[in-house]
Amino acid sequence: MIIKVALVGNPNSGKTTLFNGLTGSNQSVGNWPGVTVEKKTGKYYLDHYEAEIIDLPGIYSLSTISLEEEVAFQFVLQKKMDVIINIVDASNLERNLFLTHQLLETGFPMVIALNCMDIVKKKRQNINVQQLETMLGVPIIPITASKHQGLVDLMHQVEIAKNITRLDERRYDSAIEASVDRFTTILGNRFWAYRYFEDGIKGLYGINIKLETIKLLETVRDEESSKYPLDFDMLLPNERYERIIKIVDKAWIRPDLEKQSTTDKIDRILTHKWLGLPLFAIIMFLVFFLAFGPLGAWITEGFVNLIGLLFAWIIEGIEALGMSPWVSSLLTKGIFGGLSSVMGFLPQLTILFLFLSLLEDSGYMSRVAFIMDRILRHFGLSGKSFIPMLLGFGCSVPAMAATRTLDKIEDRRITTMIIPFMSCGAKAPIYAIFAGALFAGYSYLVVFSIYGLGIIVAILSAILFKKTIFKGVASNYLMELPEYRLPTPRNTLLHTWERIKGFVVKAGTVLLAAFIVIWFLSYFGFMNGTFQLLDEAEIGYSLLGSFGKIILPIFTPIGFTDWRSAVAILTGFVAKESVVGTLGILYGVSGDVLQNGSLLFTNIQAAFTQVQAYSFMAFALLGLPCIAALSAMSKELGSKKWFAFAVAYEMIVAYLVALAIFQIGSLSIGEMLSVLVAIAVVLIVFFSIKASRKRKKCVGGACYMCAIKDKCHNKPTDELPKSS
Amino acid sequence: MTLKDIKPGEKCIITNIHTNNLRKRIIDMGLTKGTIINVKKMAPLGDPMEILIRGYLLTLRQAEAKTIEVARVEG
Ligand SMILES: Nc1nc2c(ncn2[C@@H]2O[C@H](COP(=O)(O)OP(=O)(O)OP(=O)(O)O)[C@@H](O)[C@H]2O)c(=O)[nH]1
Ligand SMILES: [Mg+2]
Repeated sequence: MIIKVALVGNPNSGKTTLFNGLTGSNQSVGNWPGVTVEKKTGKYYLDHYEAEIIDLPGIYSLSTISLEEEVAFQFVLQKKMDVIINIVDASNLERNLFLTHQLLETGFPMVIALNCMDIVKKKRQNINVQQLETMLGVPIIPITASKHQGLVDLMHQVEIAKNITRLDERRYDSAIEASVDRFTTILGNRFWAYRYFEDGIKGLYGINIKLETIKLLETVRDEESSKYPLDFDMLLPNERYERIIKIVDKAWIRPDLEKQSTTDKIDRILTHKWLGLPLFAIIMFLVFFLAFGPLGAWITEGFVNLIGLLFAWIIEGIEALGMSPWVSSLLTKGIFGGLSSVMGFLPQLTILFLFLSLLEDSGYMSRVAFIMDRILRHFGLSGKSFIPMLLGFGCSVPAMAATRTLDKIEDRRITTMIIPFMSCGAKAPIYAIFAGALFAGYSYLVVFSIYGLGIIVAILSAILFKKTIFKGVASNYLMELPEYRLPTPRNTLLHTWERIKGFVVKAGTVLLAAFIVIWFLSYFGFMNGTFQLLDEAEIGYSLLGSFGKIILPIFTPIGFTDWRSAVAILTGFVAKESVVGTLGILYGVSGDVLQNGSLLFTNIQAAFTQVQAYSFMAFALLGLPCIAALSAMSKELGSKKWFAFAVAYEMIVAYLVALAIFQIGSLSIGEMLSVLVAIAVVLIVFFSIKASRKRKKCVGGACYMCAIKDKCHNKPTDELPKSS
Repeated sequence: MTLKDIKPGEKCIITNIHTNNLRKRIIDMGLTKGTIINVKKMAPLGDPMEILIRGYLLTLRQAEAKTIEVARVEG
């Protein structure tokens, strides 16, 4: 016997935490509403039965507005489960019970998991579970999902509950229930009657009804609505909340509600009028400083030494066996050259991911949305768009999926298209190498500037889209701020580990395969008429070398003078990590690491100037997202046309920015100054023309009768203007 | 008077809701007639605003706040 159990509840109530606890999965959990955007399934076993657990995105009510909410709503509506577990956040009882009431109206078998009991206890509150149970008429099991407490009880109750349906119960005011009765007679189903009551014909989406039925319903609705002083769509919500208040007053004992909470205290600083925005900048700077600053660099150095020792040992061991030259080349130049350059940055990435996880688990994410909303509104976005953008610092793929929580399609499209500019973790090693090699001493500032460049380009792009394609579109903003939670070490470490694991697995599979191919293509070629294994000095003759030299002219204007850099940047298409890996193979990292434990630095120093390096970093940051990001982008944009546009746009922008950096950066100081002055002059002229155009705007008609003649800068004339 | 006119630190009670945009969501999140709202603060740039309602913190834009009719309450 398999029981299908759906986890349904408000956003951020702990559904995924419970799901992970029951099924042993590692789905991501975070302290803001809208973490889960897709349905996920897992298995749970109890002595004699098996349950299929389905984790769903959170919903505040059955009237949904965004894509991910629709997933949960449709799942429940089509009754794809045997039992609903309604997760109720006990520390936020009033609002959570709203959805509970809507779910009770469905009459489906249901159990309530009263979650976060640890918080209730900590706040010295008391919930009378039995009382709550009788008043709601549904079994309730108190649990603490994060500590795996109460899970077995819960699943026992699920088994019992699966056969209990509660159809046609009357909970509300008799007048309202009478109205529902009238709809029920027409629709033949009480639940749909409730849906129609609150959402009108929209609430019946997905069921088959005849046109006459609709007409009949509307007449009845008009009749009924005249009976109430309140707007019709407010009646049921009002009624539910009134009932909730009665229940909560009885069953929930809360002392000193007025006392200032910890959340208040933290928010006094973090969303402070003056400090809020600067603190956000400082926090982000600190994250990158810790990852890419002296600390990160120091740890990386030690780590690279270790890798070097390990590989030296392996290589010596194999060499002792006597290897053919090509096997030795494959191992040292291909595999070791590629992997060591990538793996070397593991510590720095770990630091970055660790801090990003801390931000996600603490509750700060939604505060950032709150303080940034005003700014993002100018770009046609909502503060909520900032959450996917921040997630983009980790990886573009989940970040793009997170745009589903935005309720306007324009918002989703703009955000998805600018996410690739938020530098993902996999691009970080590229900056670490170039900044480390060529900007020693202030390398983290350079890295920070690259991240900043990405953000600026993202914002400018959003403005551009808003001004041209999505004219006049206004975004929506309504967001809950969850209470701060101290991130549990377990959760944070798991979260970080999941990402690191992804990185390592990728290195061992996709990247390894790519490195072997790249090695083959770059260390074999025709020399002196024969196809043969090449030496490091001869790789210009390789297959990849010939190819690289053909495409190099495309990259010359942006400062690439070596076919190897052109090839390296193109391999980023497979995965961004392969850029450094390829550099490692082509610039012969192996000798370097083995001898002095520094990654590629000397070879990079020899092959790039500072300006070239910066242009390379900018191009890597902005251009050509990896294959996984591209497919996510195509999925979220949901249209081939948009996808093609987005990719073309990104490539062009990357090229232009790199071009500007290299061309301006290559000038002497004097020339650079004159260019800057010229740009400034052009901008000033442009804006003053624009401004004076505005002022000169004639409203038509002769000047003497003009209402704005005092403010007008035209010479007054009594003639009619030539054109309107 | 609308929610927009209430200053941080003050309390009010909802008397009517004229919201069009996000209307149903705002109602479902607990902003119903007769509900007490505690205005906590404005975002650093003056908008959105943060309110305490039904025991949780909600943030909404002034654009929506000014469509929510309220009466100020003391204490
Ligand atoms: N103190 C405490 N925190 C919990 C408990 N259960 C979950 N949390 C925390 O609550 C937050 C939200 O948990 P999630 O499991 O992501 O919530 P969700 O319902 O899946 O959220 P969405 O996917 O956004 O709908 C996380 O920070 C969890 O660590 C609990 O029992 N006690
Ligand atoms: Mg979740």
